Amino acid sequence: MMKVKKNSQEFPLILRVEKRMSSWLVAVLLTGLVLSEPLVARQETVYMAVLNSRKHRIGALDNPTVGLFVSTDAGASWQHKGWTGYIRTFYTEAGSNGTIWSACGNGVLRSTDNGKTWRITTGGDVTEVLKVKVSPSSPKTVYAATAYGVFKSTDHGTTWQQRNKGFGKPFVADLLIDRSNEKRVFAATEEGVFVSSNGGDQWRVAGLKGKGIRFIAQDPGNTARLLVGTEEDGINISEDGGKTWYPSNTGLRHLTVYVIAMDPWAPAKVYLGTHGGGVYRSDDGGKSWTQKSEGLQNPDVHALSVIPSSSNTILAGTLNGGLYRSVDGGETWQFNSQEEAQVWGLSVR
Amino acid sequence: MGAFGPMKTTFPILLLVMVRAVAPAQSVFEQRHAEVVRVASDERDRSFSTITAKLKTGNDVPYALAMLDSLTKDEAIGGMFYSYSLIGCYLHTQDLLPDSLKRKVREAYRTRTMYRGDTENHWVMYYTGLYLAAQTWPDEEGSRWFNGRSSSENFQEARDWLDHWITISSTRGQGEFDSPTYITTFMTPMVVLYDFALDPVMKKKAQMMLDLLFVDFAAEHLQGNYGGGHSRDYPEDIINPLAAPSTFWAWLYFGEPGFPPWVETRYRPRHRSGWEPVFGAVSSYRLPDIIYRIATDRTTPYVHTETKRVRNVIRFGKELNPPAFKYTYVTKNYILGSLHGGILQPIQQHTWDVTYVSDKPNNTIFTLHPFYSGKELAMFFPEEEKFLSDEVDRYHKVYTNPNKWNSSSPYEQTFQHKNALIVLYHIEQGVKQPHINGFFPKNLDEFVRNASGWIFCRAGGTYVAIYPLKPYQWMEEEVNWRLRSHELNNGFVVEVGSLDEDGSFEAFQKRLRLKKPEYSGFDSNRTVEYITRNGDRMKFTFGGERVLNGRHHSFKEYGFFNGPFVQSKLGSGVIRMKYKNQTRTLNFNNVSLVDTP
Repeated sequence: MMKVKKNSQEFPLILRVEKRMSSWLVAVLLTGLVLSEPLVARQETVYMAVLNSRKHRIGALDNPTVGLFVSTDAGASWQHKGWTGYIRTFYTEAGSNGTIWSACGNGVLRSTDNGKTWRITTGGDVTEVLKVKVSPSSPKTVYAATAYGVFKSTDHGTTWQQRNKGFGKPFVADLLIDRSNEKRVFAATEEGVFVSSNGGDQWRVAGLKGKGIRFIAQDPGNTARLLVGTEEDGINISEDGGKTWYPSNTGLRHLTVYVIAMDPWAPAKVYLGTHGGGVYRSDDGGKSWTQKSEGLQNPDVHALSVIPSSSNTILAGTLNGGLYRSVDGGETWQFNSQEEAQVWGLSVR
Repeated sequence: MGAFGPMKTTFPILLLVMVRAVAPAQSVFEQRHAEVVRVASDERDRSFSTITAKLKTGNDVPYALAMLDSLTKDEAIGGMFYSYSLIGCYLHTQDLLPDSLKRKVREAYRTRTMYRGDTENHWVMYYTGLYLAAQTWPDEEGSRWFNGRSSSENFQEARDWLDHWITISSTRGQGEFDSPTYITTFMTPMVVLYDFALDPVMKKKAQMMLDLLFVDFAAEHLQGNYGGGHSRDYPEDIINPLAAPSTFWAWLYFGEPGFPPWVETRYRPRHRSGWEPVFGAVSSYRLPDIIYRIATDRTTPYVHTETKRVRNVIRFGKELNPPAFKYTYVTKNYILGSLHGGILQPIQQHTWDVTYVSDKPNNTIFTLHPFYSGKELAMFFPEEEKFLSDEVDRYHKVYTNPNKWNSSSPYEQTFQHKNALIVLYHIEQGVKQPHINGFFPKNLDEFVRNASGWIFCRAGGTYVAIYPLKPYQWMEEEVNWRLRSHELNNGFVVEVGSLDEDGSFEAFQKRLRLKKPEYSGFDSNRTVEYITRNGDRMKFTFGGERVLNGRHHSFKEYGFFNGPFVQSKLGSGVIRMKYKNQTRTLNFNNVSLVDTP
């Protein structure tokens, strides 16, 4: 159930937040505000990319099903979509009108019928795709973050072009399309944060030069506020759209940060997935961190999602421990599914 | 009756005639060819190669059809190994298959998860399979294919990628080069491609790639052994070279070793190597006589050098494909070979060894630093650095094992000149597994740890002398003595000889007992100087220069291939084979093949 009925209490906050939100998020929220009852039927869809499982054995006939799983009940239950075998599905994100994009070892996969059928949209030149990001306002524009740099399609995946001008070493772990300006794209590379102001045509260092960047997040309430997770340096924050950065690791004892998730209703509440330390939470916008891993049996968290309709419900995908779910804002965690699996990516639409 | 049915009875007679009438190598090859198919046809493992053998011979056909049926139904099986071997089996046997089974084979390319993989060999298999499947079922729309792409799209993508691979492999070398294990995963797709590509240019390219793969192997081959450095190999094959899948190919095409791999229990061929050479045995590809001669004539010792490339370095490196330099010295008794060192491949690198002819298993001696690190893996794989070691260990079992026999280490470098080698280690403080392992088989005929500091080994007519620079200890294991040294700045001087070169083993020892490398400043300058027993002065600095007789040792001279049998300029795409008055030139630029005379 969506809990937008708490609107009456949090309405002022929502209004305050929405002023700086992207159009799509505003649309989601407004839909919820205006049509409070139908929201139950419009509940978000969660996409879980399961890369592999420790139960997988080469050539075995009883290997677990991996790949894409979809939930329409905030992660309580899951349905598998697409190929059942191992193709290294790193991340999946929904586009518009039933389109789903998957970032895979085989390339960028697209389904236009909600996951019933799939097409590999890329050829032999695109491989090891780690993320795929759809432009919020131009859904035909799609970016792929790969081990070989950035690829971009402006025709819904019919053709792809490499966009690496300005990168030193092009390994890109993550991409962020600025909600306030879709031509502005940030890239998480092994050599720092890079930014392009022209949709990937040209890149330049935005900061944290030389540091391995794993993840980039944008504050849902403030597009100038960016947070990045790093390989060795914890969290770094920019308050000015990526011009300057500062570390913010008070209380953070595990400095490899794979993923960041922010509560869309309360952006000061930020969750981190770390290597070795499970989940951390900040209630002050990232100034300080507290470990929140009670019940989490695997300390390597690579994927996180806050469920917008129930923002105390958090999903945490672990490396080799499957999916965990918290319904109390990360205070406690319960195993959910995917025993011994590598839940590499989570996204919500 | 299968295609080889009549040959079972007439072969001995035919053979006698053929031995006189045609080149002996060719006639004996035909015999081995038939033997592989016959023996494989009796196997009961569920593989496309044994199914092919059964259907080709007419032996056990109902079982073969049932196996093929089950393999087309079972959606749990898929991927690149499946992709090329299913179409290979189908194309070899389609005239013998019922229509219902043909439809199931076709359907497999719609329903199966065909993972492309993450290494060179995976991609060769995947795209060979895709090329031939798209060629076999042309003009079909995307909904008829597992990946949603039409026949023409799949064909074009596969053709383009195969063209790319053939170009880079013939100009800069393979990334997974000279692998006794993975050779099968290149040979088999290429023979299938050669047999069934309808495009004469692609067929020719497949033939030329087979020639290249075989001559690359042949020049470093000794009686079934693939000697020297390898990009990738499994530990059990490294310590027992004739156990490697390459032995099967050597036996089938070179006639060495002198026994079929499946009858020799001492060498325990890996099950995974399986019966894939069946695809070679049923192929119309024939090894050029010149390659057979290169593989088997060991009358004159020779130096053979090569330049290969490191597989794609996707992060933490300066180049995508840095060069890998390889030096091999081949005699009729032994091969001493080495890669120049450092991380040239993740996980399974084998940097140097001496491999000798012997009627005993474990016929090799080498040392290594059993390095592992997530960062090394993250250079080549896109998953998280801190996650990769455990993940790789799960599949490869020994990656983090301190006793492992395969490893790439940034702290190991070599310098070789003919039958002398200096291998140096400069292991940083804090590195995991800060020790060096050395493999010495227990079945050596003589094993002398001399007060001079030299370790002397004799295996038949081969003599090996190793001078450790630093203290070490011995550990006794099942088939070997393990040399273990915990000295981080370390090294070994290696000299290899033989009855032919040195006379008696005692004479060999005598020549070396009084020789000692100069390394008094090694801990500070990491430099060793050594005058070989043949009088060559080698000077080697870890991370620095290699100097031979006062002259800088340049890897540029290695060429793409440089040796008496194979020559090619790096990047040229032209490979020239030479044996006595015979030559064969592969020109990949214009896809031509020229033989002289």
